[in-house]
Amino acid sequence: MSTQTSDDTAPTRAAIRDRLDRVTDPELDRSIVELEYIDRIDIDGERVGVDLTLPTALCSPAFAWMMAIDARDEVESLPAVEESRITLHDHMHEAEINRGVNEGLSFAEAFPDADGDVAAVRAELDEKARVARQYDAIEALLDAGLDAGAIVALSRDDLEMTDSTDTVAVYVPDRSFAVTVPNAPIERYLRKARETALVSEPADPLFRTPEGDPIDAESFALVHRRGRLAQVNLSSQGGICDGLREARERRTEESADD
Amino acid sequence: MWCGTDKQCAMYQHNGEEIFVIDGHVHLWDATEENIKHEGGEEFIQCFYDYHTTFTPEERQWDMDEYREYGADRMVEDLFGNAAADMGIFQPTYLTDFYTEGFNTTEQNAELATEYPERFVLNGTFDPRDGEEGLEYLEELHENYDIPGVKLYTAEWRGDSKGWRLDDEESFEFLETCQELGIENIHAHKGPTIRPLNRDAFDVADIDDAASSFPELDFIVEHVGLPRLDDFCWIAAQENNVYGGLAVAAPFAQNRPGKFSEIMSELLWWLGEDRVIFGSDYAIWNPDWLVEEVMEAELTQEHRAEYGVEWDLETKKKVMGENIAALYDIDIEQKRQAFRDDEISQQFDLGDHYASEEPTAADD
Repeated sequence: MSTQTSDDTAPTRAAIRDRLDRVTDPELDRSIVELEYIDRIDIDGERVGVDLTLPTALCSPAFAWMMAIDARDEVESLPAVEESRITLHDHMHEAEINRGVNEGLSFAEAFPDADGDVAAVRAELDEKARVARQYDAIEALLDAGLDAGAIVALSRDDLEMTDSTDTVAVYVPDRSFAVTVPNAPIERYLRKARETALVSEPADPLFRTPEGDPIDAESFALVHRRGRLAQVNLSSQGGICDGLREARERRTEESADD
Repeated sequence: MWCGTDKQCAMYQHNGEEIFVIDGHVHLWDATEENIKHEGGEEFIQCFYDYHTTFTPEERQWDMDEYREYGADRMVEDLFGNAAADMGIFQPTYLTDFYTEGFNTTEQNAELATEYPERFVLNGTFDPRDGEEGLEYLEELHENYDIPGVKLYTAEWRGDSKGWRLDDEESFEFLETCQELGIENIHAHKGPTIRPLNRDAFDVADIDDAASSFPELDFIVEHVGLPRLDDFCWIAAQENNVYGGLAVAAPFAQNRPGKFSEIMSELLWWLGEDRVIFGSDYAIWNPDWLVEEVMEAELTQEHRAEYGVEWDLETKKKVMGENIAALYDIDIEQKRQAFRDDEISQQFDLGDHYASEEPTAADD
């Protein structure tokens, strides 16, 4: 990490935040830093404490678990961090989650009564996030003037970093010319595509149907609509969770006033 | 004006034109403490209450006691008192592992449905885990109440089981029985997780196989699959006997209008205006304010341009009543005539509301 100092000094707050920024609320596909779930970061030599509060406390213990585990793994991936301690607050299952995450238990060990597999839930949500991110990446390419045929034919080795970190050059398949597009939506898409084990080889088609297949030019418009739909689904769920959180906060305030 | 007060007109008229409103999703439940036998019952009603307060205007929110048990009289007044709805369709939710007498059973709903048979449609249910006994119960519901539909709760707990799927072999046996008995409307709750029920049992994917295997039945996916709106729309786009029930999505109109516009645009784009169906989910939300919010909602300019769909008078008439009337063989004109002087119109002085198809001279 560029923000990292040498190995024998404490990790920087910026480095930790940068790592936590990669953790998403799996149901909304937005960074937990951006969503302001992080209450505080404590640095004590090589030990780092992270305090979290989720608005989705009512939505699912499995999602809370994923975020806590991901926060732990991201922070501990910094060479300067020896150990992390994740503390989730105000969640109906905070005791099970805090214990499980900090003692390295599996979801099934932490929740012996739970039905279903957290890995399968995560994989399904990653798939939805990938499809939603693909929509933004393709919008950027359409804005740059590429057409359906050119977009479905792209592979990862048609992308080339430019001198500016904000843009990426995209070569059309015969490499006769390149267009420059903003890097952010492309990079964001690629990260999720890699996580879902798509686009692992340089020559793999860059974009896929929600089922993971290459896209043919005739079905491009429909696949792109499905990307938009996946975005609407994620943000609708965000609306429900936000609403539930606000309602709960109002009630907590009222009962505190009594 | 040819209806009562201005306030009333606003409730059931839209731009001077009558819209016949069938609330496709109502309950008469009992969540009193005496009826709760498992902690899941208390968690369940508390979770319902969170949904209620989240999407209900503050001045219209109920307190927890009235929410637990509101009773038949109040229900009639909430639905019909200001003519917000013209008819209601009961969707039972048994939850007999949580509630001693059940939460909202066909038998409980029958109290009102048999008192006002012209105003209510009474649906039944089945649970394939009940096997032979379950099939007998379905036939009993058919014989006793001539149910035209069933409401299914695939995430319901039963003993050690935390749910079931509509594409199981056992489920198909029940769907075959429905087909034989002429029970054509299959309503499946596929929506937000309700604590403590397990999320995955509300997965919407099982609708696909069931709908293509039973083309004579109609599958109404309640809550349009949220948080799986994407899976739901994709399935519905391919299966033309799959419909979307708006409960949960509808109250977005009140405090998240941009989101409502976006969800409605997606639904109209993927399903078309003939397969989207209004439901309040009463008593989670109350049609006495919700119907107006949904009628007055608008799609944003941006969404109308992007999706090429309209939330106009014709679409509203379909979504608020005509679509579900077609599914349940309800003749709206015949109902309008019958409601001119039925007991409910007399009780709430609604005669003028049903007086005539054509606007006539002012009469108040």
